[in-house]
Amino acid sequence: MALFEARGIQKRFGARVVLENISLAIEAGTVHGIMGPNGAGKTTCFHVLTGHHPPDAGSILFDGNDITGLKPHVIARMGVSRSFQMMNLFDDAVVIENVMLALPAFRAVSGSPLRETFGDRHLVDLALTVLDQVGLAGRAWEKAKDLSYGDRRALEIAVALAAEPRILFLDEPTAGLGAQATQNLIRLIQKLRQHYTICVIEHDMRFLFELADTISVVHWGQVIVEGTPAGLKANKWVARSALGEVA
Amino acid sequence: MITLSDIPARSQMPLTLPMGIFVVVMATAPFWLARVGLYQYLGVEIAIWVLFAMGFNLLFGYTGLHSFGHGAYLGIGAYAFGLFQHHAAISLWGGLFAAIAAASVAGAVVGAFLSHRRGIYYALLTIGFGQVFWFSAMKLHWLTGGEDGLLNIPRPDLVIGPWRFDLNDNAVFYWFVAAITIAAVLLMWRVVNAPVGRVLQAIRQNETRARFVGYDVWRWKWLAFTISAAFAGLAGGLFSMAQQSAYPDVMSLHQSGIIVMMVLVGGGLVSFWGPVLGVVLYFVARDVLGGLTEAWLLWYGLLFVIMVMVRPEGMAGLLHVLLRRTSGQVSTVKPEKA
Amino acid sequence: MPVFAVNNVLHMTSLVPHIVNGLTLGLLFALIALGFTLIVGVMEVINLAHGSLFTLGAYLAMSTIGASWFAGTPFGIWWLEFPLNVRYFLGLALGPVLAGAVGMLLELCLRPTYGKAPLYGLLLTFGAAIVVEEAIRLVWGTGEQSMPVPQMISGAFLMGGLIFSTYKFYAAGFAIVAILMVWLFLERTPYGAIIKAGAHDSEMVRALGYDLGRLRLLVFGFGSALAGIAGMVMAPIWGLRPHLGIDVVIPAFLIIVIGGVGSFWGAVAAAILVGLATGITGAYAPAWSLMSMYILLIAIVGFRARGLLGRRSALEN
Repeated sequence: MALFEARGIQKRFGARVVLENISLAIEAGTVHGIMGPNGAGKTTCFHVLTGHHPPDAGSILFDGNDITGLKPHVIARMGVSRSFQMMNLFDDAVVIENVMLALPAFRAVSGSPLRETFGDRHLVDLALTVLDQVGLAGRAWEKAKDLSYGDRRALEIAVALAAEPRILFLDEPTAGLGAQATQNLIRLIQKLRQHYTICVIEHDMRFLFELADTISVVHWGQVIVEGTPAGLKANKWVARSALGEVA
Repeated sequence: MITLSDIPARSQMPLTLPMGIFVVVMATAPFWLARVGLYQYLGVEIAIWVLFAMGFNLLFGYTGLHSFGHGAYLGIGAYAFGLFQHHAAISLWGGLFAAIAAASVAGAVVGAFLSHRRGIYYALLTIGFGQVFWFSAMKLHWLTGGEDGLLNIPRPDLVIGPWRFDLNDNAVFYWFVAAITIAAVLLMWRVVNAPVGRVLQAIRQNETRARFVGYDVWRWKWLAFTISAAFAGLAGGLFSMAQQSAYPDVMSLHQSGIIVMMVLVGGGLVSFWGPVLGVVLYFVARDVLGGLTEAWLLWYGLLFVIMVMVRPEGMAGLLHVLLRRTSGQVSTVKPEKA
Repeated sequence: MPVFAVNNVLHMTSLVPHIVNGLTLGLLFALIALGFTLIVGVMEVINLAHGSLFTLGAYLAMSTIGASWFAGTPFGIWWLEFPLNVRYFLGLALGPVLAGAVGMLLELCLRPTYGKAPLYGLLLTFGAAIVVEEAIRLVWGTGEQSMPVPQMISGAFLMGGLIFSTYKFYAAGFAIVAILMVWLFLERTPYGAIIKAGAHDSEMVRALGYDLGRLRLLVFGFGSALAGIAGMVMAPIWGLRPHLGIDVVIPAFLIIVIGGVGSFWGAVAAAILVGLATGITGAYAPAWSLMSMYILLIAIVGFRARGLLGRRSALEN
């Protein structure tokens, strides 16, 4: 059975139907890509899958449990973690604090007024380990807002990783990155895929074709094609569409 | 611009220079207040408002929730203390407990309504609820004494073991209030430096992100509101002892706005100590400027407007910049051994 | 208070004056909220000084009519010989214009806060409200003053066995005319179109080649002048005291939020709703009539975050 599954998701905002009918299944241990043109509803799809917006119809299953309509923080605690396309960091806080806040071990003690935030060696080490994974351990004590754009992207992923996810949703992690930074990111995700199940939104086809095990192409709020990168390349529809030209 | 998030992160212990200055100044005030041309009761007022303002800033500065109706909880504390003395028993701790309890309950109920709101709608609802409490205090004559308020609220003796202190003596009363305020400030210092405080600040910085790393933002916002209402209630209980009465005026929108002004002018948005500076400046301005001109509030208002325009980080921010400039040091947020 | 029920026998009849009272009050609330909603809609600034500008406009108008500062001078003597009607209408013009000028000054002060959190605009205007209120206290004193009213719109009349105050009807009529004129201005003139564009999209205003700074200045001035007009019209009913501002800005604020930020007719509808609630509560529990608007606010905003007709706004962040 798939680790994460969406069945017939529909989402409207007022009279506007953004997601018509989204169904997808993500197997444990795989990288699943979601691609499609701008405005196809990819980000809304993420918002619905991670609980930011409840769907108007359809159901979402995680590890066999129905998580449809649960609050985002409940879904997050179950092990569904995500990054944001528009970067969403704790800007005034230092890098390590961004990560610490996301650690389940930190959350477990967050109600206690008697602890010192940075006094717990164990938590600091945990956070540094996570930062090390994305190559930010050296900048742990800088403010998040002082980081370069690429480093902020990496921190965005680190925060998602710190939550000890069972599945990681990445929303356009390459947006705004140059070629070199994109290459670094590909390496990072190659490394992460050994430990995590990953679902990634991208419009950069090369990126997805290199990384993904399976891909869903979303257009007009529906999954129009689904398959492996090789299968999609062979698909005439994809080849003929604007999407195919990029590849 | 510096923010609240870096200044307190530096220290592990409450034994910092500002804390030392704060405790020493609070503890010695009765010895020198009169010599600098001020008077004993001013110390009482400042200590009470410091307590109120610091508790308020947990919500306003740290959590970023802009309440414009916080005077209501001070007032509720004051009435609760007075009513307890009149109808239950003449008891110091009983009265203060009633003050904290009443304000916390009111805060918890209002907080439940507010906590799924953001931005200006949050602020507006706090005004709405604040006005409801203020209006009720004015109109529920049988309970609150209407516009005149509750009068003849006693100051019960403080009994510690075999010792009995008469709080009607203003100097003794001052030390009592100062001790409570210092204890509360130490407690708040703990809170803002503990994970609790970091989570509250995380919510201020990015509510959405906090939610997606697993925090129940609604509950935290509710908690912040309730805690700050509890501190307001304690301040209110002390205030009714100080005034020996409780009246609706402190609950008005005007007063609630003044507390926001104090916190902002002092620099509550950037420093733990901001509210203290703001409260002291306000009361000293009231007494010194007020001695010179009837329209002292006009000048204070102008100062406030200019501050919002050019230095919204307030006096604490200004001080921080000046200190940094004179010492030539770049501040770092890294704790010594982490 | 100025409306008396002569016939108290039938329950319905006794409620009628309260409904009429509530309706007129609602229209007057709408008049008060008019400038406020304009400024919120275009600039997303909650102008807490609105009430103080309202009060200032009324005081200035009163001084113009009564020649209070120059009463002893030859000019003052010459001026006071004019009939009250003439002086009244000059006051009606001058008070709001001066309030508008103060509003423009306030807009200039607000400029450093643009682009920051809405909190700063709110705080700055709160400070400005205190400054204006204290200035009024300094100039005109703390006592309550009354605004002279021409003979033709004062007094009372009888209708269906009930006595109604003439001035209240004049004021309500004035409010209707003002609401319609502002609406026509927004809907039917090119200026209105620009202002509305500014409300949704300041980029658009710039792209069209208009100076956004000047637009904001004018909108703030216009909104403040509307506050002044409302003050002038309300003063004979509510009396004039320096701290009137806070009694005024709160209903205006509530009305905007109940109606929904940025919605013109939402605000008008909310104003009438608030007026009716106040009037009808006044029938059963006079002491609590002013409380009803807060209850209405909590009831509506507690469940509909954006009020009756609101749309998304930067003020939510």
